[in-house]
Amino acid sequence: MDRLLEQVTNIPTTVGDELLSRFEIGQFVVDRDRYIVHTNETAARLLGIDEQAPGIDYSLERIDNVFDSDVQEHFNEVLNGDRPFCLSEVHCTNRRGQFCELDFCCQAFGYNDDRRIVALVRQTRKLENQAAYAELQDELQILAEVATALSSTHDLDHILMAILTGATASQGLGFNRAFLFLYDEKQRLLQGHLAVGPTSAEEAGRIWHDMDSNRLTLSDLLTASIHDEVGVEGGITGLIKDYSIDFNQPSDIENACHLGQWFILDPNDPVDEITQSLILRLGSRELALVPMVSKGNLQGLLVADNLFTGRTITDEDVRLLQVLSNQAAVAMERAELYEIQLQRAQEMERINRRLAETQDQIIQFEKMSVIGELTSAIAHELRNPLTIVGGFANLLLKSDLADHHREYLNIIAGEVRRAETVLAHVLDFSKASRARNEVVDFSALIERSYRTLAGRCRGAFDDINLELQPGIEVFGNSDQLAHAVYQLLKLVAEELIPPGDAVVHTEIVDGQACMTIDVHTPEENRDKMHKLLTQIFSQKGASQRLTVMVAGETIRYHGGTYGLQTNLQSLPSLYVKIPIHRRKNDSEENPGS
Amino acid sequence: MTQKRILVVDDDPHIRLLYQTELEECGYRVETMDSAVKLLQAGPPESFDLIVLDIEMPEMTGIEALQELRKKLPDTRVVINSAYSIYKADFQTWLADDYLVKSSDLSELKESIAKLLE
Repeated sequence: MDRLLEQVTNIPTTVGDELLSRFEIGQFVVDRDRYIVHTNETAARLLGIDEQAPGIDYSLERIDNVFDSDVQEHFNEVLNGDRPFCLSEVHCTNRRGQFCELDFCCQAFGYNDDRRIVALVRQTRKLENQAAYAELQDELQILAEVATALSSTHDLDHILMAILTGATASQGLGFNRAFLFLYDEKQRLLQGHLAVGPTSAEEAGRIWHDMDSNRLTLSDLLTASIHDEVGVEGGITGLIKDYSIDFNQPSDIENACHLGQWFILDPNDPVDEITQSLILRLGSRELALVPMVSKGNLQGLLVADNLFTGRTITDEDVRLLQVLSNQAAVAMERAELYEIQLQRAQEMERINRRLAETQDQIIQFEKMSVIGELTSAIAHELRNPLTIVGGFANLLLKSDLADHHREYLNIIAGEVRRAETVLAHVLDFSKASRARNEVVDFSALIERSYRTLAGRCRGAFDDINLELQPGIEVFGNSDQLAHAVYQLLKLVAEELIPPGDAVVHTEIVDGQACMTIDVHTPEENRDKMHKLLTQIFSQKGASQRLTVMVAGETIRYHGGTYGLQTNLQSLPSLYVKIPIHRRKNDSEENPGS
Repeated sequence: MTQKRILVVDDDPHIRLLYQTELEECGYRVETMDSAVKLLQAGPPESFDLIVLDIEMPEMTGIEALQELRKKLPDTRVVINSAYSIYKADFQTWLADDYLVKSSDLSELKESIAKLLE
């Protein structure tokens, strides 16, 4: 620098300027009053001062803060001495706030009133890259903020809104409007989906003024775009909502999407009919079209323009838009995968829940099956002794006996018969336990049980009427259920006090198949009837009748409940409720098999 | 009229006694045996008009014996009389002329025997 300074100061100004300009060396001259009296263009740029207004506004003090304090001191020394002063890689922040790193060299010339300092400055290589770095940093900042916004949501429309906001915000890529078309693979067309931007020049002016006033950052705008309700119907979206680009016909757009390449569309260029249609639709003078591709799959098309400002779209603009578009494509794919995973997780949860229920049911089935086997074995073992006891009692009854002996033997024979009846019921139940589970028509089952009973107890069931709703399905062991219903009907019929009757209803109540047996009796018998039925159906534990116990267990085993209630007419009403069967995908469930 | 001969095969002595007493009162000549093995080993088989056969017996069940009986005594009536009703579903019991579940009320058994020996 010393040598260069010497050369420059000894060469006429014009040559010096040319030399300085060639090497991008800045020169400024400071007079003895410490005013900058001359700068060349390079110095003005480096120092951040206007070349056109030297001297008046730029005393040395005005650029004090450009250099650090050491340089200021050296200026005074140089002004008062004869030796040049040089510094390398001086960190400076010029008057425009730009960081720069300078090589600096100065020397005083002249005497007295002509005394001046000629200073040379040049930026180190770092600043050249710095400008590029700054630009890249800005771009990266935009992309980073958009990426952050995209990663905070799995909602597709919010993702798309963030992309469009990034493309149109002045703090982002700064396009006036941005449109998004989604690709329908089945129909092979791009369907208009979402757009951001003003609908008119007036609206554009108002929006941009408001945004400037609010001083929102890109991050603020992106956050708002994600959390606010996405209006996919109105505004500028309406321009493309019902618009589609057909890929079944060849076009420049279709070709670009197929190749995954962006292009800038100038309406002056010759274009095909489909592309022309898009230009007319959007009313644009120039369009940037960027396909959204993820892993070789076309997701959609991002279209942007500067309709209101008329700013020419550059390759650099579209390059950034491409990066944004790629981010969008990935985010869309991620959202789709997330949706699939969410559905799978929900399905898994449902399956796990069903498995847990099924497992419980299977365990229950096994228990019931074992109980059934055990019960059967015990019942059969009891049959022989009962046959013998009852048989000999009956045998003895044929002989000539004292009255009291006859009475005792009658008691023995009667109790044996009763025990045999109980055994028969128990054996019926255990036999039913081995049947498989299936979908059962609840009302049909009740009717079958009723008819079986009516057939066996001829006449006794004339006072029981059926009002059954068809189409009620439950899942379970039909034999067991029929047995339980049979026992309950039989009990009610046996306890009915004439001239009463009973009506059997079926209906669906709160997702359950409900059977009610309403007992109608004259008012004078009502309390007695109620007491009788309460005694039968409300007792628990060992005092409960075996038939009620077995029927009750069957109902509970099927997830149901039973009991006695008073209906709206204040009549005693026996109810049985069992969950209805819900069909799924037309496949039957049979966890017990 | 020749007195009909009935054989009662059951491992329970009290059942054998009860049935013998009741059936003799009905006018039949009744013999008893406590196992199906003895029935098949006894040869040449006496001519019985009807056999009342239990199922659950040690060494050989009544169902197993029935198969052999049908080969040796094709014309003899057999009534299965068991405490178990489940064997009714076993087609091997169809070789018998009747299947009755044991009960303290022997009237059903007597009716069946009377019908078969008409």
